[in-house]
Order: sequence, then structure tokens, then C-alpha cells
Amino acid sequence: MGLQISIRESGDVTILDLYGKAIIGVDSDLLIGHLNKLLASGVLKLLLNLADVTQLDSSGISAIVGTSASLRRQGGSLKLLCPRGRVRAVLRVVRLLETIPTFEDETQALASFRPRGYSATS
Amino acid sequence: MTTPCSSAVGPAPNKTALLVTSGGDVDELLASVLAGEGWILQRAADNQHALARATKEQFDLIVTGRKALGPEDVELFRKIRSSRPHVRLIILTDKFTPGDVISAMREGAFSYFSAPFEASELAEMVREAMAEPCWDDGIEVLSGTPEWVSLTARCDLATADRLVQFLHGVRDPSIPEAEKEQVIFAFKEILINAMEHGGHFDPSQHVEISFIRARRAITCRVKDPGKGFSLEELRHAAVGSSPDDLFSHARVRDEQVMRPGGLGILLAKKLVDELIYNEKGNEVILVKNLNPPKSPIT
Repeated sequence: MGLQISIRESGDVTILDLYGKAIIGVDSDLLIGHLNKLLASGVLKLLLNLADVTQLDSSGISAIVGTSASLRRQGGSLKLLCPRGRVRAVLRVVRLLETIPTFEDETQALASFRPRGYSATS
Repeated sequence: MTTPCSSAVGPAPNKTALLVTSGGDVDELLASVLAGEGWILQRAADNQHALARATKEQFDLIVTGRKALGPEDVELFRKIRSSRPHVRLIILTDKFTPGDVISAMREGAFSYFSAPFEASELAEMVREAMAEPCWDDGIEVLSGTPEWVSLTARCDLATADRLVQFLHGVRDPSIPEAEKEQVIFAFKEILINAMEHGGHFDPSQHVEISFIRARRAITCRVKDPGKGFSLEELRHAAVGSSPDDLFSHARVRDEQVMRPGGLGILLAKKLVDELIYNEKGNEVILVKNLNPPKSPIT
């Protein structure tokens, strides 16, 4: 299955749910296009949900690294959620899991974007 | 090179596929993919029936049933191609021999799936077969033995996908599946680099490839038609930037207004034991060592 992307928001965090392959060609072009649009619109907090990504190659990883680098320069951040199987393995190979914060739980991932000491009730 | 196919051999407006019965989920999957794209479906109970129909009628795509032996499917294809030279054929088989993949490539099959295979990968390949307007000069086997295969591949992504699927179809019990997957992954990264940077994805250009299966190693050689490069000059690639900072090459690419990229060589390097470039930088050898077979206890 080619890549499909849906976008949702939780507070000031934009969540991209990715489904299928994020590999060179139309799939990575689609991913880069979506990420560039979000950057251009001023999004600073981005969570990429990789739970349903079945394949990731250097092209897909480069889209993630490039976006993360851009966000860092602007004071924002990109985080990863639930990479599985082969996708987790390839991220581990390039040591991206050591560089980009990665979570198994969406609630924890969203909480990590909040400043320390912040409480939802405060 | 074989004679390039012309645009006239692409599927006619009413595209027709012949499916040899596999049974169960595979038949349903193929029917749903093809019907979804507006293709007319015809069925054959076995290869003999398929051959009889294909010699009388024009089909744009033929998918073999998984019950037949791999060599039987290759033979079927050879006979069909003698009268229908540009028909696309995808081989599915549960029963195969090690040389089947080479034979299938040599005969010009579109793709090859040996069990077990992922249904989604098959569906994807069927879609590519339906979409690809000109394909049958894409891969040419120059020489082939089970230990050493040399071929050329046209510089386009669809040909790369086809070649990689042929590699997935190779079933060698002496190569652990995990190591085979690492080699294929690394090979695809290097192949795409060669097609993109050496061949500029120009379909008139070809990449030269060799696979060598030694007793304790797998070796892949890829030579592109480009001018080459120097690894030391690749500041815009992760392999040429700081090993401790995966983001440094991304900053360089951003400054030079390049699209995201530059991780292919690094990724390939980490998946195989050696990655050796020639002086010019347009030819590379990947080496993956295999564990020696366990000696019997004496």
C-alpha cells in the first residue's frame, strides 16, 4: 500500500498518522510535501505516528531528519510514536532512536511537548 | 539490450488479465486489485489451459497460479512469449528450485513471488505491472549461474522495484532470512543512488549489476553510467559528515536548497560488512559475510 497520511491536532501539537510505505518515489514525495506545508504554516510541535508504517527507507528517514533539523532551528521539535518491526530496526541502524525522542504511548508523547511543571489543570 | 518496446504495446483501453487459479485469498486479492482498476478478468484452471487461451487471445497481464512448479511457469512464459512478446507475466509459486529466479528474469517475466510472500507486495507489483507503459527491456540477464549473476537494469524506480522483488524471490536455505533482507535493503539503497545520481533516472541509461554467492559471503557489484564522486566531498550526505551528528548533513542540504536525502550510503554501509568504492566513485561492491556452517560434533 502506498503512503497515506492523516493529520490531527492535540492542543498545539500536530499529529501525522502515517499508513503504508514511506519509501523513495511518490510516497516520500507525499511525506515531504505534507511536512513542508506544515513547516510553512508555522507548526513547531510535530508528532509522527509510525505505528502503521510498513516500510521506511533512506528517503523516508531523510524526510524525518530534514524536518526535525528545521524545527530545531526554529525552537520546535519533532517526535516519533510507535515505530514497529522493520521500521524500528532501520531507525535503530542509523541511530535515529537515540537522536529523536521516541514514544510507545501517545499520551506520554503529547505530555513530553509540554513545558516542565505544566499541568493540564493549572 | 533487447529491442525496446514501443508505446503501442501498452495495455489497450480494455485491459484484460488472465489469472491462473491459485485458490483462496490470492485469487480474491488479485480479482479485487484488477477489478478496482477497471480490468477485465479471465481465468484459467491451470497452465495448459492458460497457454491455450493466451495463444488465441490477447492478454495484457498473466498471473500464474501458485500450485504449479516454478520451472513449469517459466516454461509457460517462454511458450507464450514466442507469440506474445510483450505480455506481462507475474509468476507465483509455492514450489520452486534455486535457479527459477534467474530463468524468470532471463525470460523477461515482470515479477516473481515464491512462497511465503506478502499479499500487499503482490498487490503493489500487480499495480506496477498495470501502470508501467514500457517494461520489457528493463532487466537483461547477461550471464547467470546460481553462484554468479550479471545483468543490466534500466535507470527507473519501477525497474528497481522489479529487481528487488526478484531478489526477495530467491530462497536459499543456507542464507539466513535476516541477513538476506539486510543485503537486499543495502543493495536497493545503492541501486537507487546509482540510478539517481549516476543515471539521473534516465530510462535510456542502464546500471551494471553482479551478484556473487561465495561460500561464506554474498557480494553485489553496482556500476552506474555517471562520472562518479568522492566520498570525502559529500558534506551533504550523512556518510561524509560528522558520525556523531546525524543532522549536520541536513543543515548543509538545507543551506544548498537540496531536498531531504543523503542517508542511503550510510544506511547501506551499516547493513553490510564492507562497502568498497572504486577510484572514480561510479562503481561499488557490497560484501556481506555469512557465518560459516556449523561443523558436525565429532
